[in-house]
Amino acid sequence: MDLVTLQNLLDNSAFALLLGALILYWLGAAWPAALLNSLGTTTVALANLAIAGLLAARWLEAGYFPLSNLYESLFFLAWGVTLFHLIAEAISHSRLVGVATAPVALGITAFAALSLPSEMQQSAPLVPALKSNWLMMHVSIMMLSYAALLVGSVLAMAFLVVTRGQAIDLKGSSIGNGAYRLTRAAAIPSLALGDSAGGTAVLTQAPPTLSPQRLTLAETLDNLSYRVIGLGFPLLTIGIVAGAVWANEAWGSYWSWDPKETWAFITWLVFAAYLHARITRGWQGRRPAVLASIGFGVVWVCYLGVNLLGKGLHSYGWFL
Amino acid sequence: MASPTASPSTASPLQTWQRETLALLADLRFAILLLLLIALASISGTVIEQGEPPAFYHANYPERPALFGFLTGSLILQLGFDHVYRTWWFLALLILLGLSLSLCTLRRQWPALKAAQNWRYYTRPQQFQKLALSAELPARDLSTVETLLRHKGYALHRADHTLYARKGILGRVGPILVHASLLTILAGAILGAMTGFLAQEMVPSGERFTIQNILQAGPWAQAPANLTFQVNRFWIDYTPKGDIDQFYSDITVLDTQDTPLDRKTIHVNLPLRFRGLTLYQTDWGISAVRVQLNNSPIFELPVRPVTLSAGRFWGAWLPTRPDLSQGLTLLLRDLQGQAFLYNPQGQFLGAIRLGETLPIEGLNLHLIDILGSTGLQIKSDPGVPLVYTGFALLMVGVALSYLSHSQIWALQDGDYLYLGGRTNRAQLTFEREFLDLLNQIPAHSG
Repeated sequence: MDLVTLQNLLDNSAFALLLGALILYWLGAAWPAALLNSLGTTTVALANLAIAGLLAARWLEAGYFPLSNLYESLFFLAWGVTLFHLIAEAISHSRLVGVATAPVALGITAFAALSLPSEMQQSAPLVPALKSNWLMMHVSIMMLSYAALLVGSVLAMAFLVVTRGQAIDLKGSSIGNGAYRLTRAAAIPSLALGDSAGGTAVLTQAPPTLSPQRLTLAETLDNLSYRVIGLGFPLLTIGIVAGAVWANEAWGSYWSWDPKETWAFITWLVFAAYLHARITRGWQGRRPAVLASIGFGVVWVCYLGVNLLGKGLHSYGWFL
Repeated sequence: MASPTASPSTASPLQTWQRETLALLADLRFAILLLLLIALASISGTVIEQGEPPAFYHANYPERPALFGFLTGSLILQLGFDHVYRTWWFLALLILLGLSLSLCTLRRQWPALKAAQNWRYYTRPQQFQKLALSAELPARDLSTVETLLRHKGYALHRADHTLYARKGILGRVGPILVHASLLTILAGAILGAMTGFLAQEMVPSGERFTIQNILQAGPWAQAPANLTFQVNRFWIDYTPKGDIDQFYSDITVLDTQDTPLDRKTIHVNLPLRFRGLTLYQTDWGISAVRVQLNNSPIFELPVRPVTLSAGRFWGAWLPTRPDLSQGLTLLLRDLQGQAFLYNPQGQFLGAIRLGETLPIEGLNLHLIDILGSTGLQIKSDPGVPLVYTGFALLMVGVALSYLSHSQIWALQDGDYLYLGGRTNRAQLTFEREFLDLLNQIPAHSG
């Protein structure tokens, strides 16, 4: 079997596997069953391997890192999304992760495999600007950060769906709000007395057995979204810095406000705002998740939109 | 009764104003607003074309009908949306963000780190009740807890019947590093803008130059007057297909006494760095051709760039009579050694290669040499070391900020073991770790 046939096979199986995963996760959300869930995880892991195989085959065929055109870049992004999906599942053991992330991975794969014309799927020679190890590192880290931020922000959307119409207190931030027992446990009288500030209360009755208060589903989703964005944010930062250093070494300017650069900076600002909103009194609850959901769109503009803007379109034409 | 601490009447209006300003700058909501405002301003710069002449904005954003009812060319020019990233208000936003960062570090992050270092044992069971993750076990096994926690990578403090364990305190240092690094980058950028400059020189191969053609310079910038540069040779390597592979310039740096100080062959992606100056290979051109007509002396004819529909060319007028009354046009496309000849009517007469002799208009034209010139960009940015330091700190800082600061307390109170813990970021992972810990503690029989 030659490399091209293998690529077609892997490309189609990645799409089929992710479609299967989507169905499994959605069925599993409707009728919870452990089997559906572990099958979903297996399917995504297989899809991840299939995409890795596809990219490796193209690497072998072309002889350079497979990020030369939109098709390869989309598959690299889909690989990243499945990777962070698996990481998020490992952190949370939650069946809801796949419900949210499988459509994203499937959508990216479908776009690359089905809607891109076949001449755009061919491996293209690398443009001279990309013939640099520094640049390869910069591009691949940026792609991984996009993948993490997409997974994190789609989980924030899932959180918004799960908590619609509720007030919620966030768990997890740099200052560590939410580590304290919620007052719903205070229905038991003696618990209310143990406040550390007072601390002088004398218990007149034996304290009930103290047991850990577990995170709820919404809190799980929220903390998971925060942690995955927390992975994507350093990757984005390192990716931008790598690009800036490379630009300075090659052209003598570490920052030149070109649209792609500017949108990477905008993405960084939006997620920085998200991380700070989590520690702001009065802004906790659903508001940071709304910011993260906006971040989902910003990442897409940064990844694809800027390239469309740059094609000499009237920049205010389709964009606004 | 309560004694007044700082009564409003004793504070002067100036002090009140200062306190309120500081409070606003340190307010997180203000910082988030700044981040989002900077993001919006940056978006505007990617949507509205930057750096075009005023006429462009008047033509593309007419007064009526105004785009969205308000966006006109004169408004764009008035508010500086034609150069957003260099307007006073954009720079002011960045500086405000810098101030907000510093105040936040002083007022929140530093105290939070100090507080995290001031840990304390829990000595009463009631102290555990405020923690969401806390439990009471019928066990007498503080030593097992100690072993298990050490195994999980915790640093421990143990007293007789109580213990405190923590890990990931670097996660509280990370954000401080991030803020400090952003300030460093900002300082580096300002220093670069004030003291740096950018110059471009087009230098024929074999000639010397000093830095003259300065395109941008900060108010405190100083171009070194005591340095001369000599372009020993400029050449282009072509691929077998005739495309440009790489440009090279062999450059020597000389002082005022013509003593060579440094020498290097630069190409794209490989600049020459000397005393804070960086010379980049950015452009190329053709400066002159050397020809001989019959047995005439060798003429060096300057060539000028001309843009034709077929691309970029260089042209020279080649006189064919001693009184310069008649001549030919000589066109060059690149440095590969070929020239094309046309008569004044624009008819193609022939091509000649380097070293060849071509009989033309009753003369023998001998093409001796084609002289290239190198396009160099000379840049000085004294802010770069600071910016790079900031970059390094920033990468370390954001990576450390992923760590979650986890703390666990344990207390043996009679026959009961109390355990409690909290973490600031990774609630999910910590919950699992904590429940895992509980499961591993054997309950005592009795």
